Amino acid sequence: MAEKEKKKGGFFQSVKEFVYGVAAHDSARFALKTRASMEHLFILITMGDMLGVPILPPYYSLRLLPYVVPQISTWKRRMLREKDLTDGLA
Amino acid sequence: MSLTKIFEQYPDRRYIMFGGKGGLGKTTFSAATSYYLAKKGKKVLVFSVDPQASLTDIFQKDIFGKGPTEIIPNLYAQEIDADKRVKAYQQEVRQKILDMYGMDKIPEEIESYIQAAAAEPAMEESAIFDEVVDIVVRGGYDYYIYDLVPLGHALYYLSMASVYDAWIDKITKLREQMREYDQVAAVMQREKELDEDAILNELLYIKERINKSSSILTDKAKTAFFFVLTAEDMIIKDTQKAAALFAKFDVPLSGYIINRVLPSELKSENIPEYLKNRFLMQEHYLEVIKNDFGNEILASVPEMERDVTGLPMIEKLAKAMFGDF
Repeated sequence: MAEKEKKKGGFFQSVKEFVYGVAAHDSARFALKTRASMEHLFILITMGDMLGVPILPPYYSLRLLPYVVPQISTWKRRMLREKDLTDGLA
Repeated sequence: MSLTKIFEQYPDRRYIMFGGKGGLGKTTFSAATSYYLAKKGKKVLVFSVDPQASLTDIFQKDIFGKGPTEIIPNLYAQEIDADKRVKAYQQEVRQKILDMYGMDKIPEEIESYIQAAAAEPAMEESAIFDEVVDIVVRGGYDYYIYDLVPLGHALYYLSMASVYDAWIDKITKLREQMREYDQVAAVMQREKELDEDAILNELLYIKERINKSSSILTDKAKTAFFFVLTAEDMIIKDTQKAAALFAKFDVPLSGYIINRVLPSELKSENIPEYLKNRFLMQEHYLEVIKNDFGNEILASVPEMERDVTGLPMIEKLAKAMFGDF
């Protein structure tokens, strides 16, 4: 689909993409990044007990589990990543 | 005011609950009330929200985990098997994961989470809570009689609804905010369509279910909550405390029922010192109850000559509560 549109659009399409890249790409990236942080926050408050942070009676959080399966491993890595002074020294 | 009058005057109060300390006769009163209403031609479901339910014992019929079971015409009783429900629910979650991602095995990490979650003590209560919503939403009965857990648990049960509610509200808001960021990115990247947020839908579903049950518990028009107490110091004090707490959760209190009153005919007979003292104590505390609760006392039920199990005894008790019917 995208490929086809590109061919059809030709010059205009390139201009459009250039303008997007200069003006909006950074903002879009920022929006997505914020979104990703919120996603992790969201998993923390719903699935927190996976990290040993009991937050909620887990009956309903189990309902949400299927949707966050792909994010679980990256989320755990992010949440457990320690950041303190000694890390810099080591 | 009498119990019969309350039921006649407020026919819309279809959700009936008896609360009180453990062992005072909540289950007995639930069973007797359901018996009375069924005999009056109403279709009644009496169900237990207690993991240690005793409806099976009082009706002398094994109904545990069997769904609504007919006891006499119009009278159905149900004991929820929380364990079974939790297991089925776990399986449902597993199946959903397998289907969504085309996996043939649940990842170990996820599996251990599912198992740990089910081992939580709150899980049983939540499962029962959820089943009660099912029962009430399904409908089909004129009256629903909740055989409640002892006071502390009942308070937990009630507060769970409001805690859940507040929590779901918060995360639903966060989720909606996330959706806005998605939209911003989509607009800038000129994507026309945004996938539906399945999690947000799931949250809204959960919210609706919780609202349903908490709205029943606090609905003055449809719910009648009765306290059971006996003529003893500690129980009177605890009941007052509990009533104040329940009022905080906006539970509509309909009145109080005194149980285990020693029949005063006995007094004229030649009774031992021990019983005489019991009578003195009872008279004193009945007076206290009268002063404290006044015309909110709806019935005074005598101590029976034997324990209340089986239909003939249930009928006898129902007559003591409601008068002849």
